[in-house]
Amino acid sequence: MRTVGIQPAARAAEDRALPEILPVLPGNIRCLVSSLPESVRCRIEEIRIRQERPLTITLNDGDVFLDREGRPVRDAGEAYQVTSADMERLIGLVSGSSLYAFEEELKSGFITLPGGHRVGLAGKALLEGGKVRTLKYISSVNIRVSREIRGAAEQVLPYIIDRRGAGIYHTLIVSPPRCGKTTMLRDMVRQISDGISSAGFQGLSVGLVDERSEIAGCFKGVPQRDVGMRTDVLDGCPKAEGMMMLLRAMSPRVIAVDEIGKAEDAEALEEVLNAGVKILASAHGSSLEELAERPVLSGIIGSKTVERFIILGRSRGAGTLEDVIDGKNMRSLVMKKC
Amino acid sequence: MKLIGSVMVIAASGLTGMAVAGSYARRPGELRALRSAFQMLETEIGYGATPLKEALSQVAARCDRTVAPLFGGVAGMLSESRGTTAAEAWLKSMERCYPETALKPQDLSILRDLGSSIGISGREDQMKHLRLAMERIGREITAAEEEAARNVKLWSYLGFLGGLMAVLVLY
Repeated sequence: MRTVGIQPAARAAEDRALPEILPVLPGNIRCLVSSLPESVRCRIEEIRIRQERPLTITLNDGDVFLDREGRPVRDAGEAYQVTSADMERLIGLVSGSSLYAFEEELKSGFITLPGGHRVGLAGKALLEGGKVRTLKYISSVNIRVSREIRGAAEQVLPYIIDRRGAGIYHTLIVSPPRCGKTTMLRDMVRQISDGISSAGFQGLSVGLVDERSEIAGCFKGVPQRDVGMRTDVLDGCPKAEGMMMLLRAMSPRVIAVDEIGKAEDAEALEEVLNAGVKILASAHGSSLEELAERPVLSGIIGSKTVERFIILGRSRGAGTLEDVIDGKNMRSLVMKKC
Repeated sequence: MKLIGSVMVIAASGLTGMAVAGSYARRPGELRALRSAFQMLETEIGYGATPLKEALSQVAARCDRTVAPLFGGVAGMLSESRGTTAAEAWLKSMERCYPETALKPQDLSILRDLGSSIGISGREDQMKHLRLAMERIGREITAAEEEAARNVKLWSYLGFLGGLMAVLVLY
C-alpha cells in the first residue's frame, strides 16, 4: 500500500486559513489562540469550544487544551474554562449578529464561515412536526479549519484521467471525517478544470454543487478558493437539485459534489451518469465494504458505474491516499503499480 | 446701555425658552422616525433575512436623517470585524447619538432593550422584539405629542416673558 501525507503542504497554506477564523472568536479566546507558537498554529485542525468545559484544539496528532496563558497543556485542570459569556459572544460573531439569517443552517447544525470553514453547532434542538426547527442554548461549537492545499490531488489524478476519451473516470472519494476529503475534491476540481499541461490533459468544464459552501468558499456567489477557471459553482444549493440544474443549464463535462448520502443524491447521480456527464463525488466511509452496506450507496457500487474509488485515511496524517480501486473489477490499482 | 442689556437678557431668555420648546416639538418627530426605521428593519429581518450589518446600512440610508446615525453607527462598527457584538455596537452608537437628539431616558430604555436582543435569535423572535419596541414607541409618541401640545407654546412664551420680567425687576 502506498501512502502519501499532505502535512508539509498544509503549512504553506496556514497563513491564509487561521486569520480568516480569528475574527469570529471572542476576544479572550482569540488572544489565547493567537499566542500559540507558529509551529502549533499551523497544525490546528479544529478549535472546540464547549461551555463550562476546557478550551480544546485538535492538532493533526491529537487534541490539547489551552491554559489561561494560551499554552497547550494536557491536563484538563489547568485549561481555560469556556464561560457562557464567551459562548454568547462566539455565536454572535459567527453569525455576524444575524442568527435569524441562518435558520436553514441551524437546522443542519452548522454555519459556514467565509473561506469555507465549517462551524458545527450543538445545543438544545427545538422540534416542529418531528423535525428540527432550530437550535437553542448552543453550548458546543467546533470550528474546522479548512485549508486549501494546492497539489493535494497530485498523486490521485493519474488514476482518474481517462487517456482514451480525454476525459476522466466516474470517481468516488471514500473517506472518514477529517481525512481531507473536501481538500482533495477541491484540488481535483481545480486541476481537472484548469487542465494539466505536463500530462497533456486539457481542462474540462466542471459543474460544482457546493451545498455547504465548503469547497469553493463562495462570497456573494464568487468562489474565494481556486476551483479552476472552467468551473461553474452552484453555491448553497441542495445537491440533488443542484446536479439537475447544472446538467440542464450549464452543459458541464464533469459534475462534482461533496458528501453524497441521501436517497435523492443517489437518484440525481444516476441521472448524471445516464446523461453522459462524468461524476466526481465524495462520501463518508472508511472502506468500500462499509459503503456497500449503506442502502443508498450500495446501488451505485453494485451497478459498477463508478470507475474509480479513491480511499483516503489518516494512517500517515490527514489526506493519506490509502488506495485507489478500479470499480469494474474491484482491484486495487495502487497495489498493481507497486 | 441699560437698553442694550435689557434686549440681551430678553433675547437670551427667549432663545432658551425656544430651545426647550424645540426639544418638546422635535421628540414626537424623532420617535416617529425611529418607529418607521424599526418597521424597515422588521421587513429586512423578517422577510428578507438580510444579515444585520447590511440591513442596518439599508435602514440608515433610507430612514429619516435624525435617526440615521444610530443605525449607520452600528453597521459601521459591525463592519470593522473587531469582535464587537451587535449589542455592544448598538449601545455605543446609542450613547454617541443620544446628545444630538430630543429623546428622553424612557426612549433610550426602549432602544437599550431592543439592542440587547438584536440579532441573537430566530426570525420570529426578532420580529416580536421589533414589534414590541414599535408598540412602546407608539405609546411614547402619544405621550410626547400631548406633552408637546402643552409645553411648546408655554416654553416659547415663558422664555420671553421670563426675560421681560427679569428686565422689569432689574430696571
